[in-house]
Order: sequence, then C-alpha cells, then structure tokens
Amino acid sequence: MNTPTMNLKPLFMPRTHETTEGNKTGSWRYLRPRYEDKTSPCSTACPAGEDIARIEMLSAQGFFKEAWETILRENPLPGVCGRVCFHPCEGVCNREGFDSSLAIHTIERHLADTAARNDLKPALEKLASQPQKIAIIGSGPAGLSASWFFTMLGYACDIYEALSEAGGILRWGIPEYRLPAPVLRTEIGRIESQGIRIFTGKHISESELNKLRGNYSTVFMGCGYSRSTPLGVSGETSESVKDGLEFLRSVRQGEKPSCQGLSAVIGGGNTAVDVARTVIRLGGKAAILYRRRRQDMPAFAEEIAMAMEEGVALHELLAPGAIEAQGDQYKLILRKMKIEGQDKDGRGRIVPDGDKTSEVTVERIFTATGADVAEPWYNPPSDKSGAITLSHCQIKFDKEGIPLVYGGDLTNVTKNVTQAIASGKQAAMAIDTYFQQGRDAIESRLASCRVGDGLSLSMEVYMQGARRLRSSHIVQPEEINTDYFQFEARVVQPRLLVEERTGSFNEIDMRISANLAIREASRCFNCGLCNQCDNCYIFCPDVAVIRGRNMEDRHINFDYCKGCGLCAAECPRNAVTLEREGL
Amino acid sequence: MQIDAYDREYMCSGHVGCAGCGATIAMRLFMKAMGEKTIMVLPACCWSVIAGPYPQSAMKIPVIHTAFETGGATASGVRAALDMKGDTETSVVTWAGDGGTFDIGFQSLSGAVERNEDFIYVCYDNEAYMNTGIQRSSSTPYGAWTTTTPGQDWKRLRKKNIVEVLVAHRIPYVATANIAFPEDLIRKAQKAKSIKGSKFLHIFASCPTGWRIPSEMSVKIARMAVQTNIFPLYEVEDGIHYTINHKPKEYLVREYFKLQGRFRHLTDKDLDQIQTMVDEDWGLLLKKAGERS
Repeated sequence: MNTPTMNLKPLFMPRTHETTEGNKTGSWRYLRPRYEDKTSPCSTACPAGEDIARIEMLSAQGFFKEAWETILRENPLPGVCGRVCFHPCEGVCNREGFDSSLAIHTIERHLADTAARNDLKPALEKLASQPQKIAIIGSGPAGLSASWFFTMLGYACDIYEALSEAGGILRWGIPEYRLPAPVLRTEIGRIESQGIRIFTGKHISESELNKLRGNYSTVFMGCGYSRSTPLGVSGETSESVKDGLEFLRSVRQGEKPSCQGLSAVIGGGNTAVDVARTVIRLGGKAAILYRRRRQDMPAFAEEIAMAMEEGVALHELLAPGAIEAQGDQYKLILRKMKIEGQDKDGRGRIVPDGDKTSEVTVERIFTATGADVAEPWYNPPSDKSGAITLSHCQIKFDKEGIPLVYGGDLTNVTKNVTQAIASGKQAAMAIDTYFQQGRDAIESRLASCRVGDGLSLSMEVYMQGARRLRSSHIVQPEEINTDYFQFEARVVQPRLLVEERTGSFNEIDMRISANLAIREASRCFNCGLCNQCDNCYIFCPDVAVIRGRNMEDRHINFDYCKGCGLCAAECPRNAVTLEREGL
Repeated sequence: MQIDAYDREYMCSGHVGCAGCGATIAMRLFMKAMGEKTIMVLPACCWSVIAGPYPQSAMKIPVIHTAFETGGATASGVRAALDMKGDTETSVVTWAGDGGTFDIGFQSLSGAVERNEDFIYVCYDNEAYMNTGIQRSSSTPYGAWTTTTPGQDWKRLRKKNIVEVLVAHRIPYVATANIAFPEDLIRKAQKAKSIKGSKFLHIFASCPTGWRIPSEMSVKIARMAVQTNIFPLYEVEDGIHYTINHKPKEYLVREYFKLQGRFRHLTDKDLDQIQTMVDEDWGLLLKKAGERS
C-alpha cells in the first residue's frame, strides 16, 4: 500500500537577533534633564555659608568626620557655633512647613563633640605657602576665623591677645553654662595646630600697631566690643552702675562677686539675659528691665524662657530715668513706656507713657544695653577715602599700600559670633585677592563665592572646590517631592533640670547620642543635593540613567533619553533640572 | 527583596514606548525581580510594540509573541515543554495588558489558573486599549473618557474587579502592585516566583498618552492611586488570606481625578459618587482582611 508520506518541513520560527539599541530614541526629546546640585536655603542663611545640606547628608550616613571637615572648610568653630549660634539656618529650613525644622545646631555640636572626644585631626586642603605674614589683633571669633582662613590660603598668622587666654567674647563674655571653656580650648588648640601663633597677655596700643604694620604685610583688627555702653542717666557712676560685660568677665576669670539681694539688669539682649542668669547662679535675685516688650528682645527666645524658669523676673516697657543712692542700695526711677506704631525693623515703636514712672530699690544695677569698643582708635576711621568697604569688613591702605583690615564687631551691622566668623573669612578672601590679583579684582572675586543670593561666602568655592559647581538657585519648599518623606518629630534637646541649672555653672544642654544625631540628620531633605537615592535610575522608562560610583559619574544617556521628565519629577530634592532642548 | 535586584537590567534602551510610559517601568522592575531564567509570553498589548519589531528585541530574555486571547494557553504550553525537558528552574510569565486579561484573554487565563498551571500571569493595567487608540476595556474606571466613551458618554460602568475574580479561583497567590512602589513590586514578583502553581500579579501602570497627563506625572499619578485607596496594595494567599501592604494617607479621590485629562468632565457630584464607591470598596477589602480602617 502506498502511504502518503507527510512532507515534514522544519518549523520556521522568526527569532530576533538584535536589540532595540539601534533606535536612537533621544531624537524624540524636547526636554532635557541635567544633574545639577542646587543651593539649600539653610546654607544661604548661615552667615558662615556652611554647606549644611551636605553636612547632614554625610551625618545621616554616619560619616561624622567628613561632615565635621565640611563644616571646618567654612567655619573653624563648630563646637562654639553648635552651642551659641542663633542658627538662622533653622528659621528657613524647608522642612518647617512639612513637620518641623531640622535641629541643625544640635547636629553641628554633636559633630564637634565627637571629633573632640576622638581627638580627630581634620584633613583639609591648604594652598601653597605665600610670602606675606598677617598680624591679627584680638583672638575673638573674628580674629580666630581670619587666622584660620588666612592659613588655609597659605599665609602665616600671628594673633595678639590682650588677656591671659585666647577666645575674646567666647572666653570672657559668654557664661560657662552656655559655652564651657574646654570646648573653646579644643577649638583654639586645633586652630593653633595649623601653625598659627597666639601671643596672649599682649595688649597692642596705637603706637605698637604702627610698629606691627612695619613687620607684617597686613594687620587685621578684630578687637571687638568689650565694654558695655553707659545708660546716660543722672546718678550713673562707676559705683552705682556696673558694666554687664565686665561682670561676666570677672566671673569667667574665676571670681565670685557677691550678688546678694536684688540686682537690676538693664537691657534686652543676650548679655542682659546672661548677666541675670549668672546673678541667679551666684545666689542672688535678678530682674531684667527692658524698655520694649519681651517679643522685641534681641536675646534668643529660648534663653529668655530658660532665664524665667530659673527665677529671673522680666519687666517690660520700662526705661531707666535716674538713679539715687540710698545707703548701700540704689533707687532706680523708671519711666513707663508704651507702644505707638512700628519701627523700621518691625518691632513696636516705644514712646514715653506720659509722665508715668515707677521705682524699684535694688542692691546693684548692671547695664547691658549694648556694647562698644574699649579704646576709641579701634573703630575704623570715619574718613573712608581710598578704603574698601565690604559687607563684613573695611580695608584701609597706608601710604605704602599696606592694608589694615577692620572686622568683627568693629564693622559688622549685626554683631554676633557667626557674623564675626563671616567677617574673618571675608577679610582673608579679600586680602588674598588683593595680593594675587590687585584691589580691583576683590569685588567680583568675592561675588563669585557667594552662597545662593545672600551675603555669605564660601571658602570652598574660593579655593575652587567641588562646591563651585553648585547652582545658585535656592531650593523652594514646593520643589521638594515630599511623597518621599515621612513625618518625624524633631529631636528634643536634653537639658539639665532647673534645680541643677541654678545651683552651678554646668553646661545646660547635654549631648545627644550618635544614634539620635543620625536619625535627626536623616530628617534633612538635603535640598538640591544628590544623595544617590537612585530614584532617577529606578523610574527611568528608557534605561537611560547611568549610575556611577560617585555623583560625578552619574549621567544620562542622551542617545535614548526621551525627555519624559520623570527623573526630575521623582527626584525628592530637586537635584535634577529639566530644560528645553536646544537652549 | 534581594539586595542586588535593583542593579540587574533585562531591558534595553531604544524601545518605542511613549515618553513616561508606566508599562515599561513595570517591566523593568518586574524583570529585576525575576532574573534571566524567565520565558515571557506576550499576547497582543502595548508591550507587543514596545518589545520591538522583528528582528529587534528590547528584552534580554526569550519572549514569545502570541495572539490576543491566548496568554494563559501559550504559557501552559511553554511550561509543559519545559517540564518535559526537566527544566523546573525557568519561570514562565505571561505579560498582558488589561485588554488581554480582563476581556479578550479572559477565558484562557481562567482555564490556565483553574488547572493551577505553574506560571505567573502579570496584568499591567493601563485601564484601556492604549496601543490601538485608547478604546475602553472592562478595566476602564467609572468616569473615564476614552475614544469609545467620548464626550458626555463617558464610561458609567464600574471597573471589573479582576483580583477578586482570580481570588475566586483559589490559586496560591494573587497580589496587586504599583510602579510607584518599586520595593513592594519587586518583593511580590520574587514571592510569586518562589511559589508553585498559578500566580497573578495586577500591576497598576499609568499611561500618559491615554490618561491625558504630562509624561513626568506618571509615577506621581500611580502613587496617588494608592494614596487615595483607588488601587490598594494587597495580596491574597490561597484565595483566603488577605494582607493589606500599605495603609494609605487616604487622600480624597478628587485629588487624583483632577490631575488627569480623561476625568476632566466630571462634576463635583460625580466625584462625590466616585468617592462613595471607593470608600465602599476599601471597606469591603478591610473586612476581608479582618482589619479596621
């Protein structure tokens, strides 16, 4: 039988043999993403221009030493600033509108304390040695800062300090319970270890200044305001009214002046609060008399609250009128004030409330209404011809063209520790530019080192560090993709109990654990800074995000990127910019 | 989740998916979980195009293009062939759109899972026939505009609850996943891979073109579908054990609707009605999971 044979042909299966990578889908694109680190609002608000978003990023990853070094590039005194700075950074924190701002100062202090405890030595960039030598008068925050940054730029520095120990207001003006001496000594020790010489007990007179100008290429005047301004009322004598700053200095020098009975403290700044709280610790009673209201006081709100917890009385809207001696006591006649309208700075404008007065009898009176220079020639000359006036310092040239720089309290509009640090930094940058490129280059060179659009300057940018690549755009709250963040409470600063506080000068704010510091730092949005979270990589529909080991290696493959914009939209912190193609 | 899952890549650039396509994100993430020992069955869907025209392929694993209605059957055959070869290691995956799952491929899916074939069926859901021009499917949600439900004739029928249909088959594993929750998606894919028998993954994959949204919004919108309880993340084992994976912040559904062009015509009254429907579904799910809101 003839059986038909089946004609078995091999089954044909079309099989692909190449990838789609031949299609350059990048040609579809009309929007172009770009990795671009931006400026965080905190770093612009910081007078020292610290790279806060990066400090928090490193801290959250446990890189405490690197985070600490990142601070030191812009601020030589993190242990001090973590304690006494008024932290304007936290006021502009983008996290504020989400839950609450980041405790930036607490982390700064933690980093400084950790470095001190482990005796860490910072590894910082330093430029080649320069022939010029710099003399610095005053070892307060401005002088210390100037010496630190001048040294970074390669200059040898000598500091002349009138008192027995360096630190200025930090050593003699701020009470121990806010800034313990060992903390300051550690910071100054690190500054000295950079090769800076500090001559203590060396008061410089006006004639000695002229001699110094012959021996140095530049003199930086950072003498500060170390004397309280007088009240200017009748009955005011050196006996009846004591200088608040002088009082704080004597206590920090180890004296225990008698403070029995009630002391009146006139003023509303931090010095007034410090004096009152010191009086309490010495066993006395203290009343702060302020011509405005509590909300108008320049002192930190937290300090005022703690002072009141400790038993300091606060009387508002009272201006000193006259003082009468009554035996060992003084009768203080006070004029009552009232609010009428508003001052330029937004605070209520005060005017006398008719002829109303009140009286108080006290054991002693401290003035803390403001401060001034100890010797009038510290002030920059009123003749500004030929001088360069910058935001935080003033440079005057003598006949030979040798610059004399006035900085710190002498020139700052806002006078505080961090502004003084900013002044020292600005002086170092300006003088270096003057030596290297001449005086005409100063303004533009400094402008190129600004952090965002503010007045703060970055030494890292000045020294051509990676930070110079940052865009000056300041990240706004709406540019943060908050879907990637969870509500989390801000760290609570552990403190001594009131009873523990009033009995001693022990530091009030206690340290937090590394664990808590990491958790707090992790709350940071890292505004504008890539922390390699990989969202752009994960969500790219076109496999066009190429990761590398570091930020610099991360890039977009524009052969295939269709410009959908997901990388920019899903970046939690606005580190990706989307622009129109072809611009 | 395997630590290196994110580092693996089984998809190529140069595919022709639209800019911001959610379905390609779904595939990328899913394949990172599966690894190279995978054979994929692709019934007609957007991905039939995205995977590339002959002789190109956007995938680094074997892919079989097959007819619209045959996702379940083809996978059953591939599984049987592998079993005959003694290869139990390789996973078989059917990767179908909502049309190929909810509508056209439904009988073949139901048949395959009824036999408890050992494979993973993934439905990436973009809520209409997007590839052919945005025609409504039984997955299109209540209220949506499509080219076949245009103007005032927007879809006034509910979206089919496909997960519950599969749960009713009592298969070992059914789960929902979403491109905006990559860790959850990868974990579920790896879990499905480790289970023998039929597994069903329902992946929410936004479609900028069909939903009338900007391309950079596709992940955000997908995330909002979870945050509003429109697309809850949960898994069901053996048809009985419910686990809700994500308790959302419960944003109002109107937040999700107002961002999409396909819902632009809805009035406040319509949105209130949809909110009631979503709340009702969420309440039902909580009950099944034995949880309270």
